[in-house]
Amino acid sequence: MTESVNLPAGFEDLAPYAAVWGSLETQEERYLQRQHSTMKDLKAYYDATAPRLNAIFDHLDQFPMDALPDSEALLYRTALGLTETAMAIEVFNQPRVPYAPFPHKMAIEWNEYR
Amino acid sequence: MANLSEHMTKARDMGLDNGRVPVEYYTSADYFRREQDMIFRRAWLMVGRVDEVPEPGDYIVRDLPTLKASVVIARGKDGKVRAFHNACSHRGVALVCQERGNAMTFRCPYHAWVYRIDGSLSAIPAEQDFPHVDKATSGLAPIHLDSWAGFIFLNFAQEPEATLPQFLAGLDQMLEGAPFEQFPFCIRVTDEIDCNWKNLVNAFNEGYHVAILHSKTLRPAVVPKENPHLHYLDVKHFGPHSAGTVQRNFDYNPQAPALTWVYAQMLPTSAPDIAAIEEGRAGFYEHPGINRLKIPNFGTETITIFPNISIQPLANGYLFYQFWPINEGRMRTEVRIYSRHAPRTLREEYAMASTLAATRDVVVEDMAMSRLQQIGFESGGKTHQQFGQNEPLLRMFTRDYEAYLQGKGMGQP
Repeated sequence: MTESVNLPAGFEDLAPYAAVWGSLETQEERYLQRQHSTMKDLKAYYDATAPRLNAIFDHLDQFPMDALPDSEALLYRTALGLTETAMAIEVFNQPRVPYAPFPHKMAIEWNEYR
Repeated sequence: MANLSEHMTKARDMGLDNGRVPVEYYTSADYFRREQDMIFRRAWLMVGRVDEVPEPGDYIVRDLPTLKASVVIARGKDGKVRAFHNACSHRGVALVCQERGNAMTFRCPYHAWVYRIDGSLSAIPAEQDFPHVDKATSGLAPIHLDSWAGFIFLNFAQEPEATLPQFLAGLDQMLEGAPFEQFPFCIRVTDEIDCNWKNLVNAFNEGYHVAILHSKTLRPAVVPKENPHLHYLDVKHFGPHSAGTVQRNFDYNPQAPALTWVYAQMLPTSAPDIAAIEEGRAGFYEHPGINRLKIPNFGTETITIFPNISIQPLANGYLFYQFWPINEGRMRTEVRIYSRHAPRTLREEYAMASTLAATRDVVVEDMAMSRLQQIGFESGGKTHQQFGQNEPLLRMFTRDYEAYLQGKGMGQP
């Protein structure tokens, strides 16, 4: 589905990362994606997105959070991958939590929300 | 603090000399069966918040793996919250299949026996064929329920040996009026792990491991220079329950760009709201039962409710952990992160997702160690584990665990 949706103007260069992270809908999926990624890939994604968080959210701020157009929704999902990737890059210096089983799934439920 | 070490409660200060604890408690199927009968069928067990069922007709279904119990918790038309076993009186079907909802009746999908929201049986199709069934006494089987500070507790005994206030033994008084209700929004994280549940209980009852196991996650934010082994301070005990004050490193100044950006959008639950504290509206920080020492770099009060709960009030929310044994070598961990409100913007939602990932990773570190610990226990080379003077709450938990297994613990001599 995401193949037919493009990132908003000005963010086209994030397309390679949108292809990976933009298709993930939940934090559980993002946690698994982080575990299955290499540090090289995580670092490239981090370097491309982390410095642009302000620009990304300045753009997204123009839309109602419950009714993002498809392009903006893709951009937002792409940015959300950074919540997991930042743990790998900024905290652990490795994709996985040390000593944890692999792959490690954890159920996450946001109570009665969205 | 004139002298912090005076407040580092040692096991000897609490008269606890049980520094060697049998590994068997953590590996034996027989001990697990005794835990089911003597602890989990006797103690009051926390299962949720009353605000999960705010309106008449609201219900939730919870499964408690330790007792293999499926429980319906429902608020009646009269406003009263009740709990029932989720089992039809006809032929036992767990009839409430949605995890939550609002209804005035429950209808069994097998033969359409119908129950009211208060659990009473209202209709039996072809009732003339069940002349031996007394409708008045054939409702859903009730479970004793009481609440404290908005937390719902159940007791699975035929008749509880103690009331909930008696069971809480003064912990409830110390925390009287603590503003849990100010933090209604919850994210819940659950996982099942191959380890004994008490491994996790113990991990939350000592700070000794924080600088080592959590060296990359918690340590920079939490461990202050003056308390490098993060000894809990001012340990308080109430029957088998306890609370200990934990510091925070107020010099913590994260430089990592993504993390710093998150802090700028919304204060994570675990971070002190310094502006709010200065303005005197700091939630739990103002409560007289929390941080009794008034240490300036207060982090949290680790509150343990026997047998399987840890609550950590923070300036900007609270964390709730619960540890359910499934058998002697497997358990379910449930983590709930409570905050003031649901995210109102995408920035806040992103910040919450980021905080969630960070909190989860810390718990994953604890769970990873608990699993390795179980492997070591089951290898069979050691008959005992060692609890230090700096691990008084582990010794206390063990003392009260043993008392429960012997049929004591709930106020009996």
